[in-house]
Amino acid sequence: MTLIADNIRVTYGARTALNGVDLRAEAGELTAIVGPNGSGKSTILGAITATLPYTGRVTLNGCDIQQQKPWQLAAQRAVLPQASQLAFPFTVIEVVRLGLQAGSGATDDSIPMRALSRVGLSHYAERTFQELSGGEAQRVMLARVLAQIWKPVEDGQTRWLLLDEPVSSLDIAHQLQVMELAREFAEQGGGVIAVMHDLNLTAMYAQKIAVLSRGECLASGSPREVLTDGVLSCAYGCTLRVSAPVPANVPYILPHAASA
Amino acid sequence: MVATTNIPIVSRDRFAKARALHVILAVILLMSAAVSLETGATEVRLSTLVCKAVAGTPFSQIETVVMLDIRLPRLMMGILVGAALAVSGAAMQGLFRNPLADPGIVGVGAGAGLGAIIAIVLGGFLPAALQSLAGRHLIPIAAFLGGWGSTLLLYRVSTRQGRTSVATMLLAGIALGALAGALSGVLVYIADDQQLRDLTFWGLGSLAGASWTKVTAAAPLIALSVGLAFMLGRGLNGLALGEATAGHIGLNVERLKSLTILSVAGATGAAVAVSGGIGFIGIVVPHLLRLASGPDHRTLLINAALLGASLLVLADVISRTIIAPAELPIGIVTAVMGAPVFLWILLKRRGMVDL
Repeated sequence: MTLIADNIRVTYGARTALNGVDLRAEAGELTAIVGPNGSGKSTILGAITATLPYTGRVTLNGCDIQQQKPWQLAAQRAVLPQASQLAFPFTVIEVVRLGLQAGSGATDDSIPMRALSRVGLSHYAERTFQELSGGEAQRVMLARVLAQIWKPVEDGQTRWLLLDEPVSSLDIAHQLQVMELAREFAEQGGGVIAVMHDLNLTAMYAQKIAVLSRGECLASGSPREVLTDGVLSCAYGCTLRVSAPVPANVPYILPHAASA
Repeated sequence: MVATTNIPIVSRDRFAKARALHVILAVILLMSAAVSLETGATEVRLSTLVCKAVAGTPFSQIETVVMLDIRLPRLMMGILVGAALAVSGAAMQGLFRNPLADPGIVGVGAGAGLGAIIAIVLGGFLPAALQSLAGRHLIPIAAFLGGWGSTLLLYRVSTRQGRTSVATMLLAGIALGALAGALSGVLVYIADDQQLRDLTFWGLGSLAGASWTKVTAAAPLIALSVGLAFMLGRGLNGLALGEATAGHIGLNVERLKSLTILSVAGATGAAVAVSGGIGFIGIVVPHLLRLASGPDHRTLLINAALLGASLLVLADVISRTIIAPAELPIGIVTAVMGAPVFLWILLKRRGMVDL
């Protein structure tokens, strides 16, 4: 089971945001998309979620996503947007229940509450969503996304978590909690694609990394292959040093100088 | 991803409360209807008629006429128009994801009014075959088309990349209203005396012209539109997450938007066609209901129909009795009730959300 994006081009008016990008994500792995601001990270997520118009081909579990109805896609993948918006004063649990729209887990009434406790917010169930802090709101939205595709594998089909900067507004403990959640989902057979800013967190949790720069894919592969001085300095336009401290034994990136 | 701990299922408190409200509001509507039939300029009373019916005494002719030909059609029209306005308000707020969207305020009512005026003034120029085909439905259909066009235009103008700007929406509403007003002015200018008489009650916004003809002309369109809105509750809940996310959770967003616009235009158009521009019902009713039982559209839309009908029927009683034997236009009554609520929402939001 795979999610494959093939030769994706996206243009905003005259500007080309993605210029023929390929991406391949496997079930059971966490695939991270990294790159500087404006490199096209969110745009590629927009394409593979069928949110943005694109040319090229995106297949989810072997089927072209353009050929599928919104509810068919919703049963196979859930999307966490970068910024959450919500009109009207719904309570936290009501927001999480909106995830059941897809119908996949609708039969089990306990899923929303279990999803909420997965992100550590079950005690906020009856609060109004608008009262929450930015980080709490982000975690509630993650619970909604989990409720939508509760089982990583259903009827032999891989389900996918597509996350756009899932930890951007979280404190360090909750960053780790959310990344653990994503890893667990992948370990149980699901697929995860996450747009990430924090390279060290990415190195800790991702099995595959794609580095985007100026709308093109600069490198892709395992963290050890991709997270190198050369690739990162080239992508970000500044000097970065990658080392591997002994205990963790994963690449560790230290900022060095503002220019490459 | 199986959680083994025993987590209690949270009670669906607000949902249950909102369901209970269906019953309470239905009872209130029945009581409002009784009050409406009881009061009026003549000394005909519902209570007297009930006593007579129980005793088996026949009704006088005047009683029959007042009840069946004057008060009952007026009550029916109040119920239809009140339900239509409140449901369109709630549906439009769901579509725009904003509690300030109201067909009357953002120019949809004006667009529907323009459609109706075009039908009244220029309807005579239509081919005879088409005229007889449309018959008494001509004015509601024209109002529906006017409302549909203006809702569509408004949504296009104020929504960019799935986000609706409230400031743009309100300003575009002013522009749309002004444009519709200007075109209506031109038509009023060329209208003849009879047409001018027909047009006068648009400005007032009134149920005074109620008749069985109007009730039967408006009822099908309102029933269809309101029924359609009732089916969109789940979708409008999802739309609260924004258009993109609504699509991600499996909703066909484009179809949802089109159906909502159709429903709003149908209900508003038919209501405006028979009663003129009655404002603020569409804003006050959903707002009160959200305070009482939360924003879930599955129950909100049904409760809005019930409360909107009651409120308009009661406002009509006030408009008929407060300066009896004369009548205060009902638009004044609803504006006095509604404008402060509108300002209240505006002030409360100012701190939280930038317009």
